[in-house]
Amino acid sequence: MTYSEAFVKLEELVAQLEEGDIQLNKLTAKVKQANELIAICEGKLRTIETEVNEVAKSATARKKKKNE
Amino acid sequence: MAKYWARANRIVRFQINRMPEQIKLSDLLEQIQDTIQTSFEGETYWISAKITNVKKYETNRRCYLTFEEYEGGVKTAEIRAVFWANYYSEIEKFEKITKQQFKNGIEIICKVKVRFHKVYGLNLDVVQIDLAHTLGTIELERQQTLERLLKENPTTIQLFDGVYRTLNNRLPLPLVVKNIALITAPNSDGQRDFIQEITKNKHGYTFSVKEFLTTIQGDTAHKLILDQLHLIEKSNEDFDVVAIVRGGGSQTDFKPFEDYELSKCVANFPIPIFTGIGHDRNQSIVDLMAREQKTPTKVASLFVEHNFEFENRLIELKTMFFDLVSEQIQNAKDDLDNAKRIVKLSSPQAILNRGFAIVTSNNKIVTDPKNIKENSEIQTLLRDEIIFSTVTKKDKNGKGIDL
Repeated sequence: MTYSEAFVKLEELVAQLEEGDIQLNKLTAKVKQANELIAICEGKLRTIETEVNEVAKSATARKKKKNE
Repeated sequence: MAKYWARANRIVRFQINRMPEQIKLSDLLEQIQDTIQTSFEGETYWISAKITNVKKYETNRRCYLTFEEYEGGVKTAEIRAVFWANYYSEIEKFEKITKQQFKNGIEIICKVKVRFHKVYGLNLDVVQIDLAHTLGTIELERQQTLERLLKENPTTIQLFDGVYRTLNNRLPLPLVVKNIALITAPNSDGQRDFIQEITKNKHGYTFSVKEFLTTIQGDTAHKLILDQLHLIEKSNEDFDVVAIVRGGGSQTDFKPFEDYELSKCVANFPIPIFTGIGHDRNQSIVDLMAREQKTPTKVASLFVEHNFEFENRLIELKTMFFDLVSEQIQNAKDDLDNAKRIVKLSSPQAILNRGFAIVTSNNKIVTDPKNIKENSEIQTLLRDEIIFSTVTKKDKNGKGIDL
């Protein structure tokens, strides 16, 4: 599942929670599902952030090397 | 025998007695000199003539030449002339101001004195050149060439607000200038200045320069430069720009860059052309048809700065890009944090922690009180305990959640 897919599902769940659309007896399952989606999103986001920082660092390093 | 000699002596005496009266050559020439001096002494004359046989001796500061006049292609007058040392500066002034070489074939108007010498014959001493006339002639020819360029190339050469817009000088430059075709004279200052600036640029950029070496001055220079442009056009190499440069002592010969055919070729050339032909005050027609940068160094420096601008734009874009990416990541984090907070608040345990209770009946959460009848058994889940109850009475909740 991609970050976007996970986050869209999470947004749907959050909207349901905010609207009070979820039956109380289904609430635990929904909360569990939401937490799983949050974990997926956090994992993907952390990976993306690390990769972007590495790309930015290598671009800066190339420029520095060229100037030396 | 004695008779023979007597007769011979008579004949010789007769012939000597009959010889015409003679004068010395120098006497005759002196008479001519006197006559000429009487007529022309102290007089100066403005004449218009074509100059030929020009022989300049810069060290002695003398120039010998011939004045010629033609009518209908036939020579009608010719005389030798000379610039003596005290008037040699007239030639230097002519070359400096008109940007033309003082050379065979040009028409000038000049002030002369008539002089006759017994050994050197009849001569004209030149004492002044009418620069205004020469400049006027050059300007007239220039205007005629410009008008012809506009008239004969209406789609590729246009004049807007005094600026010539040509197919060539409107060509977009590539984002990065890398491959340069350089037209210049071999071992010239222009060549050296250009190469030095381009190879030792402060940003350390590397360029590929292919030289097309040719004579940049003289009567045939315009044709030779044209040949080089044709070579560049036919070349398989993918040139980004063409630079035509010259420098050093080439201030005097401006004429090749006023030529119609060369100017036309430059105006229509498919690769952007930059000129640095080493003159500060005037623009040649070729300059007007291309992009003029005055000197070879300035042309090279423009290419370097063009690439530097591109690099700066790239750095700006990169910074902007990474800023936007960081912002997007931060927004995603904020959205996720918000979702986490809502989810956390929505969990049943969080509800109980806040002091609310969950009512169940027959192991099912009661969400609709209509399903609970009086006397039925219910369980009330609190954070730490479950209360088992029997319903004794039901009533409407008229207060809502106003506790």
